[in-house]
Amino acid sequence: MRNIIDSLKSKFKLGNGEQKKISEILLNNAIYFIIGGIVLFIIISEPTFLSLSVAKNILTQSSVRLILALGVGGIIILQGTDLSLGKNVGFSAIITASFLQSFSYGARFYSTLPDWVWNVNSLGEVIGFQWFFYILVLLVAMIVSAFFSAINGLVVAHFKVHPFLATLGGSVALYGILLLYFNTSDAGPQPIGSLDSTYSSFVGIWHVFGMEIPLLVVYSVIITGVMWVVWNKTTFGKNMFAVGGNPEAAKISGVNVIRTTVMVYILAGLLYGIGGYLEAARVGSANSAFGLNYELDAIAACVVGGISFSGGIGKISGAVAGVLMFTVITYGMVYLGIDAYYQYIIKGTIIVAAVALDTRKYIKKT
Amino acid sequence: MKKVLTFVTVLLFVFALAGCTSDDGVVTIGANIYTFNDNFMNGVVRPELESYAQELGVEIDIVDSEGSQATLNNQVDTFISKGVDVLVINLVDPAAAGTIIDKAKDADIPLILFNKEATVSGVMDTYDKVWYVGTDSAEAGIIQGEMMVADWQANADWDLNGDGKVQYVLLKGEPGHPDAEARTVEAVKAFTDAGIEVEELAIQPSTTWSTTEAGDTMAAWLTTAYADEIELVISNNDGMAFGAIQAMTNASYDIPIYGVDALEEALAKIGTGDLNGTVLNDGVNQARATLDLAVNAANGVDVLDGTDWVLDSETETKAVRVSYVAVTADNYEDFQ
Repeated sequence: MRNIIDSLKSKFKLGNGEQKKISEILLNNAIYFIIGGIVLFIIISEPTFLSLSVAKNILTQSSVRLILALGVGGIIILQGTDLSLGKNVGFSAIITASFLQSFSYGARFYSTLPDWVWNVNSLGEVIGFQWFFYILVLLVAMIVSAFFSAINGLVVAHFKVHPFLATLGGSVALYGILLLYFNTSDAGPQPIGSLDSTYSSFVGIWHVFGMEIPLLVVYSVIITGVMWVVWNKTTFGKNMFAVGGNPEAAKISGVNVIRTTVMVYILAGLLYGIGGYLEAARVGSANSAFGLNYELDAIAACVVGGISFSGGIGKISGAVAGVLMFTVITYGMVYLGIDAYYQYIIKGTIIVAAVALDTRKYIKKT
Repeated sequence: MKKVLTFVTVLLFVFALAGCTSDDGVVTIGANIYTFNDNFMNGVVRPELESYAQELGVEIDIVDSEGSQATLNNQVDTFISKGVDVLVINLVDPAAAGTIIDKAKDADIPLILFNKEATVSGVMDTYDKVWYVGTDSAEAGIIQGEMMVADWQANADWDLNGDGKVQYVLLKGEPGHPDAEARTVEAVKAFTDAGIEVEELAIQPSTTWSTTEAGDTMAAWLTTAYADEIELVISNNDGMAFGAIQAMTNASYDIPIYGVDALEEALAKIGTGDLNGTVLNDGVNQARATLDLAVNAANGVDVLDGTDWVLDSETETKAVRVSYVAVTADNYEDFQ
């Protein structure tokens, strides 16, 4: 340990007086070091882990999680949380899958869809959906999800219900609506699979300059960029941090707290809708259990990435780091063949450790 | 005090309403599904229970136990206080059968357990009006295993490294679930029984039998050092197999894979060659047998009266077992 500190010191040309600062840096970033250690352990035990295909898989598996984490991240900055994330994603996925099943599949959710949705070739054969229908379904998924999220936001902002309870209730109610919809299937409440091939190709591979880039990664990079601008460069983003840091002060300085809160929830809902749309294509089918526990993964990733539950603090880069670390660890443990029971213990410990270290950081500050 | 009074008044009112259920001679059944998240129970068994009940002219009330035995216990209490004629129960925790049986016994209401069998031995003998309808957990694994052994022997090129051993990965499902445990053992045992050596490369449970988790796991396996050695994917249900198939498609792998349940989607995937085989968990006949026994029990006649079902006399005399059926490319169209 001393060696590491010494080498760090010489690297940054620091004198002895600044030693305290370095140990502080170490402590403040302890969670990154711990996780770095775990990753190092994975790589040493199985050097093949450092390969392009592993990296590609990890990025792909992180993509949707990141989109969801960016949504719930905003809510966490408002000192809130969103337990209905998973059900929102599940409902979006079910809606999407129910409309975009392959024409040739016999047991479709909607055994008949109006003629105008189908793309027919010159021989009169159905070869997929009209291009605008793919977009229309995405919009429907996003609007439905944003609608339910907006209700959560209203309940939180207007009726002052604690977000934990508001979204817990919202989640249970939404599950009922989801099941009602799932049961209306013409094929009975079966998993909705055999998805349209064009739709599935949306999450395929993008061949460019001789490289193979997973499209999911492209989408999540774009969305991350957009969210970075929203959080850092817009009045809305500044208001969000102000409300999260101190709602009273924000109110006094003229921020419309209720409107800001509801908008943060709507934004989160839109992202869940996109997440559900993409996740159904990635998984290849959707059923009533879809999205189960996704909220826990997304919230945990945000917290590990330093988005604080005490509100007002957090960065886009934190969410990205948190999601990536979680996926790397989950993936690495499967890769190493670690018994699933230990996987749960390790993941749980990381979450608690992250929060403990995070809290320590802010106690010191004040 | 005022609050207490209000509360008591409301309670009285609720009880008064509950007491209004008149006995009009129609058999009423209180039933549950252990969780509506289970594709097979919710998608195959429940619709059949509802439609067959209509056919029989009985009333059935099916509740969601949300995967919690505690919830189910409360639901059974509610059914009993509502005065149902027979309980049709899909246990959440097979080890908790005793509690449910005691409740039924105290209320003197006949009880049919279905799909999930009591694991405590002798517990079925503690009440004369309890029966079980389901399958033999081990049988699905045995049939899946036999199917795989037959295909393995017919396709010499499946043995990629030519060592005569089967290198497999297994998607297990919920740890402790009788089906998951039995299938895991039996599917592999079929190979060793046939004199074929096996080597387990990896096994991964999923507490929710999750398609997504299975897909992510398979994707990870396909990047490991042993990815090219995997000769067989055994999935303890179809849902997880779907995830694994998607992962294989993405990574351009085509490894033989087998599931259990014979969901519509699985039949379609057998048609396209993505899935090599599945085992029909005959939900329709399980639901029908369950209701036949329930109605007879409610009417106080012999449970098998007027039915074709037989009690499984080999092991015990209170269980009706519906057989599993192997589904492959040869016969999948019969089930669509």
